[in-house]
Amino acid sequence: MFQKNPSVEFSLWCAGALALCGSLTACVETVPPDMVEAIETLDRDLLQLRAAEVAPGEYASFAHQWVRLRTRVEAEEDTIRWPWESNDLKEALRQLQAEGARTVAHLAEQQEAERRAAVRQLTEVEERVQTLGVQVGAIDSRLILAEKPVETDLLLKQARAFYEQGRYEQSLHASDRASRHLAAQLALLQHELGRYASPDRIAQWQRSARETIEWSKTHRTTAIIISKAERSLTLYRTGQKVISYSVRLGFNGIKEKRYQGDGATPEGRYHVAAKRGRGQTQYYRALLLDYPNQEDRRRFLTDRKKGKIPAFRDIGGQIEIHGVDNELMAQTLGCVMLENQHMAVLFDRVDSGTPVTIVGALHADNSVARALANLPNHRDEI
Amino acid sequence: MKIRHVLVSTVGMCVLLSGCAQPPADQINAAEQAVKDAQQSGAATYVANDYAKVEGLLTAMKTEVAEQDGKFALLRDYGKAEQLAAATKTEAEAVKVAAVKKMEEAKFAATQAHQAAQASVASAMDLVAKAPAGKDRAALESIKTDAVALKASLNDVQMMLDKTDYLGAQTKAKAIQEKADAVSREIETALAKIGKGKAVAKKK
Repeated sequence: MFQKNPSVEFSLWCAGALALCGSLTACVETVPPDMVEAIETLDRDLLQLRAAEVAPGEYASFAHQWVRLRTRVEAEEDTIRWPWESNDLKEALRQLQAEGARTVAHLAEQQEAERRAAVRQLTEVEERVQTLGVQVGAIDSRLILAEKPVETDLLLKQARAFYEQGRYEQSLHASDRASRHLAAQLALLQHELGRYASPDRIAQWQRSARETIEWSKTHRTTAIIISKAERSLTLYRTGQKVISYSVRLGFNGIKEKRYQGDGATPEGRYHVAAKRGRGQTQYYRALLLDYPNQEDRRRFLTDRKKGKIPAFRDIGGQIEIHGVDNELMAQTLGCVMLENQHMAVLFDRVDSGTPVTIVGALHADNSVARALANLPNHRDEI
Repeated sequence: MKIRHVLVSTVGMCVLLSGCAQPPADQINAAEQAVKDAQQSGAATYVANDYAKVEGLLTAMKTEVAEQDGKFALLRDYGKAEQLAAATKTEAEAVKVAAVKKMEEAKFAATQAHQAAQASVASAMDLVAKAPAGKDRAALESIKTDAVALKASLNDVQMMLDKTDYLGAQTKAKAIQEKADAVSREIETALAKIGKGKAVAKKK
């Protein structure tokens, strides 16, 4: 017969209690809080990336699973399990976390691609506008573009603002509109100034100049040739070049003259209609030309009929070759201006009736043709 | 008799159970309408993140309904779908309130920006009128052209305000103000350098 031993009983009891405590401390929470926090962070990231809008299928799957699992999380929040017990909730959360992380990575990549596209297009258009500005400034043709540069500039400012706000789609849209406005500016420049790069037109101008020089040779007298692109005035006598001077034109001089006040310097064959000496002009000395000639009038009437010229506009007149008032202006209102010492020389060598032929350019390689060639016509050409 | 009772009870129970397994159509419709109302109040623009969450809840609700619909009638349980519908409706209503508030704030900001742009353009136009002919007539004409173009652009801002595109209107108005201020600075610099200009003798 065995007798009960209290100390053994007590030892056994302590060992059992210890074993139980040990087992209990080894128990684990059913719902690891860090995993829940991680999934909530992923949900916030997906919202930030506008996943419901850009990847509705993927976000719907994530959201649906998260809603389901969150209910279970709330229900089993305070439960614990033995370490050897299977934990399907934890496994489901792990899978959801992995799926969410993949979606976040994919959308972040997509958003980064959108950002890169927006900044690339914006920078490209800004560079094209800058190039256009340089070329337009080089040939004083800003006024040809009227209000278009402002419209383009405003669109680019908007595109830049949208980009800085992270609104990449709107930035792309605005810079795309700016690009189309830019294309319209280029088209307008080609329309107004394309003749400077036209071989036929250059040949026509060269022919006019040759005929004028030939006339001076035949009649043993003087003639003047003015080239707008080269901004030069050349005096000929008996078919020989005497001297050349730099000149300044109208504030819109490079353009073809259409009506009074447009700032353009006319092109065509004219003559000195009158000489105005000291005291007869505010511009030191002046040679009045017989603009408008017959061709000018015919073109004016045709353009007016076609609606290209407003009805209230006149053809204009008082086009002169003149010197300087008190200070040398950058441009005239349409006349041809020389420095006074050059005007003095010219004034003494010409008479009323002297032919004055004004052409756009005398050479194919002229400043306007070069500027047109350097315009940023296409994206791929940058 | 007993068998008949059992059969009648079983059929009755089936009818009862299948009646319970119906999607909560009213709650679903209410949730969808609430989301639509939120969308129409500009939520997607003004409280985009919150609206995205509501869209997510709506999609989760529809997915849950579709899942239950795909089950055998006796096994369907639309309890979760009902919960989601209720949550969607509540969230969407809150988002709508937030969106309306944000839209009003955006409208105020856009209107302020428009007024500031109008003031800058008016100031630039005043300076243009005083600008001297100076040495560079082309520059003066360019400035005049720019000022007129800016004035015309203010109409675009008004059109955007009328269409409730407040964010677009604000951005454009700020761009106009920036440009108009630049024009004013250019003229002020010219005025400081050149002083009053002389009248030009003849028009060409």
